[in-house]
Amino acid sequence: MRETWVVGAASNRFGKMKESGREAATRVALAAIEQSGLQAKDLGYTFVSNCFGIAEHQAHVGPLINGGLGIPDVPSCTIESACSSSSAALHEAFVQVAGGFVDAALVVGAEKLSHLDTLAATSYFAIAADYPFETKNGATFPSLYATLANAYQSTYPTKPEMFGAIAVRDHENAAHNPHAHFQKPISMDTYLASPVIASPLRLYDCCPFSDGAAAVVVAAKERIGTPKSEPLVIRASARAGSITEMQDRPDLLGLPATRTAAAKAFRQAHLEPKDIDFVELHDCFTIAEVLALEDLGFFPRGTAAPAALEGVTAHDGKLPVNPSGGLKAKGHPVSATGASQVVEIFEQFNGRAQGREVPKTEVALAHNVGATGGSCSVHIFSRR
Amino acid sequence: MDDAIPSASHTVDEWIHGYEEGEILRGFRCTHCSLITATWGLACPRCGQRTLEEHTLGRTGRVVAFTILNVPGDEFLNDAPYAYVVVELDAGGRITGWMPSVKSVDDLTIHQRVHFVPGYKPGVQFAKDAPPE
Repeated sequence: MRETWVVGAASNRFGKMKESGREAATRVALAAIEQSGLQAKDLGYTFVSNCFGIAEHQAHVGPLINGGLGIPDVPSCTIESACSSSSAALHEAFVQVAGGFVDAALVVGAEKLSHLDTLAATSYFAIAADYPFETKNGATFPSLYATLANAYQSTYPTKPEMFGAIAVRDHENAAHNPHAHFQKPISMDTYLASPVIASPLRLYDCCPFSDGAAAVVVAAKERIGTPKSEPLVIRASARAGSITEMQDRPDLLGLPATRTAAAKAFRQAHLEPKDIDFVELHDCFTIAEVLALEDLGFFPRGTAAPAALEGVTAHDGKLPVNPSGGLKAKGHPVSATGASQVVEIFEQFNGRAQGREVPKTEVALAHNVGATGGSCSVHIFSRR
Repeated sequence: MDDAIPSASHTVDEWIHGYEEGEILRGFRCTHCSLITATWGLACPRCGQRTLEEHTLGRTGRVVAFTILNVPGDEFLNDAPYAYVVVELDAGGRITGWMPSVKSVDDLTIHQRVHFVPGYKPGVQFAKDAPPE
């Protein structure tokens, strides 16, 4: 395998986009390409994610983006893996470049749902669960994660403030992130006073519906020469799957796909959890962060819930988690989320994360989940 | 050539229709590893063997995890609040369902005994067992 780097990464501001997903994707893609020092014509492949493009009456958006980039002859493929779509796309790009099939590839994810009302957006999201066996039984995504939270709370002692501290920390970090959907801190009182969406999850336990786009350019080390920015060396690119339906999982206290993907990634990178300086992880709901921290091996089972409350996961803490603000406050434009995690790591490595800088940026991990864990990606990056 | 394509006794729609009519909870039992699953498939999700046989699931069980939804999807718009539950069936296997009669976290606890009831719309519906006399 060839050493493969992230050489460009760009995101727009998440929230509400006036433009279409296609336009936003094309713009962030161009920004990432320009940052990389490459030209669009140097790309051998583009991998595009736009999970809910159908809500914009658009499928097969990749060739349209390539056309807008002036490279209509470059092959494109749409990758859909629910909320882990663009990290799955990154994995495919890595395989192409590391395997020597192409020298450089683009990953871009975009989503636009703000033209839908909350009911329609909730219903679109729910399609990514098992429609006949979960959604038809009344499930929504908040309710699926709420059920996991209920199982966790009934096994391990937790109090609402433990989940609340995750939300407060994410909003604090997002306030310093110009790409974030929410840029205003919240207090614990605000968290506790927010309405219950699906018990025990309150409004501020839940990520928002966001529009947004993010792009990453990966290239073979040998193709780059002198990079324009400090590149991220892709030390591991791992994917895993697990049983989607909650009814077939013997254990509701974690997501098996995270454990499998993490084990593969640490093995690929020859690293252990203790070697990771900071983490961008999939906190679509606050309980998802707790489960991820345990499944990734950073905390023993049943011990991660107090971490945020104790400041361990603050951006200047012992294990900074989601300095970007995470899905919870940076926002969650489904297909852009995985790529946006890489954007944050790229900015941290290049000293462009003012106000939310983490103390050490030698090795970072990105964790991105599809739905309730049917799919998972774990990437590990280091400096040259 | 069609002989090479595995057959299935019922379509997923037929499974769901069975829930709606309250007539049967369809599932599979793996003759290799004994897993009982309420999810449609052609091979066992646990052992991977092509040894699933259709199996009628039990109608009673206990709640192992739940939530009360206040914000539903479009197909349950007029039903909230309601409980979404994971139920361990007495006769084996787990199934998820919903409980329109449960409106508050104070109305339900883990380990609550429940039974399958006919619904007025698709989906697996449960109701609480009456407390013992």
